[in-house]
Amino acid sequence: MIIDPISIALITLGGVLIGVGVHFIPVGGAPAAMAQATGVGTGTVQLAAGAGLTGLISAGFMYNFLATAGTFGTSEFILVLASGAVGAMIMITVTMFIGQLVYVYCVGVPPVSAKVDKDPITGDRQDIYVSQGTEGHGVPTVSFVSGTIGALFGGMGGSLIYVQLMQIGNDPSNSAVVALAGIFATGVFYVNSVLASYNIGGTIEGFHDPKFKRVPKAIIACLVASLLCAFIAVPIMGGVS
Amino acid sequence: MIDPITGLGIVALMGALATIAGAAEDLESDVGSQSNPNSQVQLAAQMDFPHRIFNKAISGEPPAYGLWCATGATVASVLLAQNMSVIFAIAIGSLAGGILLGLYSVTAHMGRTASQKRFKQPVYMDMVVGHVPSIIAHGFIAVFCIVSFSYIMWQILGHPFPLPLLAFLWGITAGAIGSSTGDVHYGAEREFQNQPFGCGLNAAYSGNIVRKAESGLRNGIDNVWACAKFGGPVTGLALGFTVFFDNWRSTVFSGMNAIIAGLIIVFILILANRLVEVQARKAYGPFKDEEGGAEA
Repeated sequence: MIIDPISIALITLGGVLIGVGVHFIPVGGAPAAMAQATGVGTGTVQLAAGAGLTGLISAGFMYNFLATAGTFGTSEFILVLASGAVGAMIMITVTMFIGQLVYVYCVGVPPVSAKVDKDPITGDRQDIYVSQGTEGHGVPTVSFVSGTIGALFGGMGGSLIYVQLMQIGNDPSNSAVVALAGIFATGVFYVNSVLASYNIGGTIEGFHDPKFKRVPKAIIACLVASLLCAFIAVPIMGGVS
Repeated sequence: MIDPITGLGIVALMGALATIAGAAEDLESDVGSQSNPNSQVQLAAQMDFPHRIFNKAISGEPPAYGLWCATGATVASVLLAQNMSVIFAIAIGSLAGGILLGLYSVTAHMGRTASQKRFKQPVYMDMVVGHVPSIIAHGFIAVFCIVSFSYIMWQILGHPFPLPLLAFLWGITAGAIGSSTGDVHYGAEREFQNQPFGCGLNAAYSGNIVRKAESGLRNGIDNVWACAKFGGPVTGLALGFTVFFDNWRSTVFSGMNAIIAGLIIVFILILANRLVEVQARKAYGPFKDEEGGAEA
């Protein structure tokens, strides 16, 4: 009995990409929903999963279009990953932008980071705009860009897992295979985003946040977890020869 | 393969359905108080502020809406397989999803509130009777619209995912968007109208939520009345934009052009966010002087 090592490696890589991507997404959890912390006012897993799974829907569309049209080579593979990444990026930028409108025009607070004195991208002074008794509020440019990068990794990781499982199933017109690959990709996505969320411990502003230095630990944890997921998923999809 | 003009019309219809779904999803979470702002409702009684706000946090909104939408779509799929008409199948499926939401709302509210007996928080039975139908109604609209545009995507645009999986994924996305956008109106503004506008919420005021309404004691219905003026509609816009932009680029363009179109949308949104940021910094001004010392 031989399990395809390339499939295992690619699914594991997809999981690690998701874990890394979650660290880029600026989430302030419950405090951000009360304008007490910088970032989007929801949980890490919630936003990462929302974005990544929107990417998965886009990737599923693109894969079906390309796989049923003819040969599925490396360029098609990359195109599907890019489609998943862009789908996730669209979802997260729209969400962060509309969230920003609520912070600015409804709650009346300027977007500001409490972790750095100057925004690393725009150079704007941050500390003097932080309201008393809060840890920042809204989504400043650095967090916005960081969130977009996070969605890129997350969407790409989820799509990578889906495409690889579909390649093992090797029957894009069979809805049972599609459903199995889709739900497995969703499951692996949740495993890795929950793991990353534990590493973050509630809130993170993006790549400029000191908590971002914990990424190496997440990479190891996601590597192990995704490897286990891959060893379960590949045989179920029929990847044993 | 459908022609591009028809495709655009279909994508616009999906965007419209998603807009209604997003608004209803957020307003349901305001009537019932779900997601992050509910932490303050939960905390209020413990800080000696007993209240009449409905308290349900069944789970995070994304998995909750994933469940309601998957339930609705599964029932609809079974009925469609029995050759029922599409509208009736989706309506009955959504009703099943809505009733499930209502059941969880009752158990979550009564369980959470009863556990606060030591803080003298009463369980108001009239609140259960008054709020749950509104929760089910909003939930029904949200699930109906999400399952409907998932059906269009599956049946007409030819998405390969089965309907229940597609509705499940869009339910998670809808919940994530509702929890990230509209809930901020409820959590940061409506719950704390007793604080000066624009002050951000000092952590010291946690749990001190507004408990008196324009008339009488405030409840979830009063909250949804206010949030329907901003938080709900913008949540709808967010979900509508997501569904529309993501499908528009793959309908109008194909291959690498669809990717480039998506990246341009992302870039425009980054720039738009920067404009809003600059405007907000000018409008609200620094809260301290340049040395970071005294209040400006």
